[in-house]
Amino acid sequence: MEQILKVERLCRDYGRSTVTHAVDHVDFSVEKGEFVGIMGPSGSGKTTLLNCISTIDIPTAGRIWVEGKDITALGRKELARFRRERLGFVFQDCNLLDTLTAFENIALALTIRKTPPRKVESLVEETARMLEISDCLNKYPYQMSGGQQQRTAAARAIVTRPALILADEPTGALDSKSARLLLERFEAMNELCEATILMVTHDAFTASYCHRILFLRDGAVFTRLERGDQSRRDFFRRIIGVVSQLGGDQSDVL
Amino acid sequence: MFSKLAVKNVGRSFRDYGVYFLTVAFGVCLFYVFNALETQSVIRYLAQHPRSNIVEAIQQLIGVLSVFVWVVLAFLILYASGFLVRRRARELGTYLMLGMERRQVALLLLAETAVTALLALAVGLGLGVVLSQALSLFTAGLFAVPMTFFAFSVSLPALGKTAAAFAAIFLLVMVYHAFALSRRKLIDLLRARRVNQELKVRSLGVSVVLFLLGCALLAVAYAMLLTRGLLRVDTLFWVMLGLGSLGTLLFFRGLSGFLLRLCQSSKTLYYKNLNMFILRQFNAAINTTYRSMTVICLMLLLAIGITATSVGLNNTVTQMADRTVPQDVELSVWPEEEGGIIDLPALLAERGFNPDQQCSRWITFPMYRDENGRPCMLQADYDAYGAAWGEEKAGAFVTDWGVRLVPQETEGLSASRWYFLADYAGAAQEAEDAFLEAVNDLTDTGGYSYTTRLSTWMDLMGTKVLVLFIGLYLGVVFLVASAAVLALQQLSQAADSAQRYRVLSQLGVSQRMRGRSVDIQVFLAFFLPLALALVHAVVGMTAANAVIAEVGKVDAAASSAVTALLLVAVYGGYFLATCWGSRRILRSQI
Repeated sequence: MEQILKVERLCRDYGRSTVTHAVDHVDFSVEKGEFVGIMGPSGSGKTTLLNCISTIDIPTAGRIWVEGKDITALGRKELARFRRERLGFVFQDCNLLDTLTAFENIALALTIRKTPPRKVESLVEETARMLEISDCLNKYPYQMSGGQQQRTAAARAIVTRPALILADEPTGALDSKSARLLLERFEAMNELCEATILMVTHDAFTASYCHRILFLRDGAVFTRLERGDQSRRDFFRRIIGVVSQLGGDQSDVL
Repeated sequence: MFSKLAVKNVGRSFRDYGVYFLTVAFGVCLFYVFNALETQSVIRYLAQHPRSNIVEAIQQLIGVLSVFVWVVLAFLILYASGFLVRRRARELGTYLMLGMERRQVALLLLAETAVTALLALAVGLGLGVVLSQALSLFTAGLFAVPMTFFAFSVSLPALGKTAAAFAAIFLLVMVYHAFALSRRKLIDLLRARRVNQELKVRSLGVSVVLFLLGCALLAVAYAMLLTRGLLRVDTLFWVMLGLGSLGTLLFFRGLSGFLLRLCQSSKTLYYKNLNMFILRQFNAAINTTYRSMTVICLMLLLAIGITATSVGLNNTVTQMADRTVPQDVELSVWPEEEGGIIDLPALLAERGFNPDQQCSRWITFPMYRDENGRPCMLQADYDAYGAAWGEEKAGAFVTDWGVRLVPQETEGLSASRWYFLADYAGAAQEAEDAFLEAVNDLTDTGGYSYTTRLSTWMDLMGTKVLVLFIGLYLGVVFLVASAAVLALQQLSQAADSAQRYRVLSQLGVSQRMRGRSVDIQVFLAFFLPLALALVHAVVGMTAANAVIAEVGKVDAAASSAVTALLLVAVYGGYFLATCWGSRRILRSQI
């Protein structure tokens, strides 16, 4: 299997006199076509880790390879280009541009990559069909439900066929029905387009859709879980088990 | 402690204060330049002429206008500082939350305003002193004033007046904000950062129709203006103005939608880089900006029109002066009874003005009247005229008065008046004084009239200086006002769309592309009103030229050049400051 992401001894420290290790020597890798989750209580360093991978933050030490390329060694210009061409993002607050329609929001991801204009419409429509938002393409974000907005954001992330999709608490602001719909679409993206997804969440139900989960505590890897051939329900129970082991405040994790 | 915080705040938000600072400095500078007219070489030249009271008139009129300008600037500075306070509402809210008293926060604002005001005042006055010298040089060249009248000088009364005027404005600003702050609720201050302005969906089709309607109205107004001319003020004139204004409003209201629809029809254009985003941004903002764009367009039109016509008229007047007064002195005297002989040189010499000594050349001759009442002149006198001043001027004299040349004196002709034409020798002013004294003593005649080149020149020049200074003053003030309003609007819009640019950054849009998108939006906001105002102005000037052409020919090239220079300096300065400020706002929030 082709390795998409490899993180090696990654550290991110904050502060000068009293150093806080937000991320402390983390190692892991993601293969092509995997759907990987990162879990942990708040303050465990999951968002910092994601920020480092998404090149928004700069690690103190360690290396990150995406498709065999060391992204910690890229310049500012190359970083923007890398973000534009190889990564897709889905955020908790879906971050759609309110002045653009859903269609245009998705198309923008293509136009900034200088996709030939005549290909734009077919690509957008195809992706919209996969995420089941074809009927609200001409609406503005504020005319859509939260779930539709988040699926539009997902469509924007995948329409460019990136090497890696990074999702930060994508279901955080959704009700359970919309969350399930979104996660099913994530699965579809994963299966149909072989999209590689790395998702940060603190919700066990959301995490149960992943193939593999990395648990963090105090910046370091606490444990790892593989779903294997288990049903989602069984996987969910195992996740709950680890979460209670993690010891953190339950309400904080669930 | 407070003064330290205030100074630091100003230092930190210096770039936020940029446009505010620029506006105050420009205002101070203008105010000083036009209140320090006595440092102008042209005014000094006019003032040394004892009989001329035009200088006083000019200064009085400028003084009255300054009150009007003061009001405009006061509103402008109030608006600009309001923008700053709005932008910092959260910061002020935080101070309050941390337990500072309202009085203390108000004091902090006062201190900050005072620091900025003092700085801007100092810079503005410095700039004003320099600019008034530049203006002095420029006008000296324009009016061909001898360079001896140019000297570097600073007007203390004007400095004092400017400082007092702006101190009053700053006091007003302080009181206003202290009052406004005391009435705001803490929660409103903390929540002041609006997420996004409410978007209304407006149909693009309606925009296109409105745009076309606006164009049609403008076309009708233009046609009316060009066929009817500028100066027929009747009901239709007001209809024309109304149509023009309404047309401008609809033009801006529909423009963004029209552009959007136009670009959407070309996929290669619409789906290229950030084009889609830029157009949508522009379209989203137009609902809030089209009214101000209209006002700004009309203000720019006023500024351009006033500046261009005042400079143009001024050049026209110069040409007129040369034609109307060919000699230093032209005196004509009626005898007490027709046919009487008057020896003008002798009369003048008796009264202390000796033509032989004080004139380089002079002639005197009678003007006759024939049976039909037509003026006649002897061929010999005509030849003398030609010998003294050249055939051309002699010919012009004959044509202007409709004079018939007669070979010699015959029956039926009687001398109806006597002419004395002369050019001074030596110091013109002394000779002029002697001549005027002598002429005022000419009591034993049937009446007289005279024109001297010096007094005509002074009168004309006074009028010219008046027109030019007032035109420049008002034109530049309008220009500064409209540019400042536009700049502030763009800056607050940049602050409002910071969130959108953050999303773009996350999507991997490079800083260069984002910067370009900001620049294009600022450019559209500045350029579109200017472009329409220029079109308006060109049409208006075409109509105005028709009027002025009756008086003299407007020197279009010179007036366009000066207008263009002013536009570029003031408007361009604001444009660059706005681009810079917007980019900075967006960069700081990503």
